[in-house]
Amino acid sequence: MEEVKCYMPETLEEALEIKSRVNAIVLAGGSDLMVSNKRTIGLTPVFDRPVMIVRNLPELKKIYINDKGECCIGSGCTSAEIAASKLCPWHLRQAANRMGAIGLRNSATIGGNIANASPKGDTPGPLYLLDARVKLQSIHGTREVPVADFIVKFKTIDLHEDEMITEVIVPYSEKDFDYVFWHKVGTRKANAISKITVSMALKFNADDTVKDFRLSATATGSKTNRSRDVENIIIGKKISTELIEEVVQAYDKVISPRAMPEFRREATRRMIRRFFGECARHAEGKVIETYDGYRMPGAIEL
Amino acid sequence: METKISFTLNGKKVSLSTDPLRRLLDVLREDFGCTGVKEGCSEGECGACSVMFNGRMVTPCLIPAGAADKQEIMTIEGVRETELGARIVQAFADGGAVQCGYCIPGMVIAAYNLLQDNPDPTDDEIRLGISGNICRCTGYDLIVESIKLAARRGK
Ligand SMILES: Cc1cc2nc3c(=O)[nH]c(=O)nc-3n(C[C@H](O)[C@H](O)[C@H](O)COP(=O)(O)OP(=O)(O)OC[C@H]3O[C@@H](n4cnc5c(N)ncnc54)[C@H](O)[C@@H]3O)c2cc1C
Repeated sequence: MEEVKCYMPETLEEALEIKSRVNAIVLAGGSDLMVSNKRTIGLTPVFDRPVMIVRNLPELKKIYINDKGECCIGSGCTSAEIAASKLCPWHLRQAANRMGAIGLRNSATIGGNIANASPKGDTPGPLYLLDARVKLQSIHGTREVPVADFIVKFKTIDLHEDEMITEVIVPYSEKDFDYVFWHKVGTRKANAISKITVSMALKFNADDTVKDFRLSATATGSKTNRSRDVENIIIGKKISTELIEEVVQAYDKVISPRAMPEFRREATRRMIRRFFGECARHAEGKVIETYDGYRMPGAIEL
Repeated sequence: METKISFTLNGKKVSLSTDPLRRLLDVLREDFGCTGVKEGCSEGECGACSVMFNGRMVTPCLIPAGAADKQEIMTIEGVRETELGARIVQAFADGGAVQCGYCIPGMVIAAYNLLQDNPDPTDDEIRLGISGNICRCTGYDLIVESIKLAARRGK
């Protein structure tokens, strides 16, 4: 098996320069690539193109709030770093904190999770919910694209050959909402690929009408699902049983789960009903739990 | 394509010339004799190969050796020489945490990773701390008890 060239840049500038010449596979944490290209015990994985290792680039490791108040996360930040950072939005921290297990969370990066474009990936749910964008950089310049457009479809992204994801920018956080909800259904608490994950957020107006409502679900189709049309059904109105059912039925048409569709649909319907029910009765606290008193050990507090 | 890779291994500077895409797991075992780094699932699920990478637990089956360049790696061979590591190893022996032993280096690393930040963990925190490490023999209870013992002895 022929060995490919492997680049080990030490700065982002160097990495982008390499990218401008060579269509190298960007390897960050390696937790997708080393598995998808693995052979067997004791053998080196095989890649069909040159590889560029960016795991330790310091420029991709920053988390800060920009002058517009948006949370900016370097693409090389790991799930553990995001889960631990109070600057990061709550929904995203929850998702990061339930990816894989501890060792995985110290390797898996947010850039890799987005670029992998798996409908079961954990970070896109919150990122769609909060209108996040990715910053794409090449030696020729920078562009920003909403994550929901960047992920074109199953395993397909809008990335040019000379570009890298350098930052993820999240304009909203739990501070913009009165109630938040995040729940991942997995077969175990650790190392569970999502069976379905639902993220929601709601804000009331002073007159009790809904000012904003957002809902996204992963593992319910070929990419993460969110629909502003469905959300608009209830925005501007007071929550009622009829409107909740309208949202539930409309969202049911948005998702298209293939495996275990009835389970995934019913779980989604129940989570939406529970969330609205708790919002309507103005439950205490901002975090709506999945069912009474259910708290995942180690869940991120607000 | 051989490239020079240098890193700190168990406190000592080391370097080698190799294909940077070789798994760090293989480099640690084959080039540096760290055979306490066990290969289990080869895809990050079982935790048997866990090592400390810049002070944080990772699974080197998922990491190319090139990613270790200029970084700090500590395997079970180094962890057991530290005060905390030695305390965990002794508590595992005294507490009957070990049956076949294959998962144990990784379990000790997980316990070390937990106790370095949280010297007095609850049962839930211990179970979360070892949630990425699979043991096929013990049913985990004696491992959890032994980690508690290690924590108690550190007070
Ligand atoms: C045991 C195990 C458990 C897992 N559990 C989960 C889970 O619970 N939830 C979940 O969502 N995922 C899970 N995963 C999948 C994986 O860990 C994540 O998708 C992770 O975020 C990938 O990030 P990485 O940095 O390791 O990616 P890599 O493997 O380095 O790269 C993945 C892809 O992203 C591209 N890429 C990486 N960085 C950039 C960049 N800066 N710019 C452009 N492209 C880039 C790569 O070229 C590649 O195509 C798991 C994987 C394993 C092995």
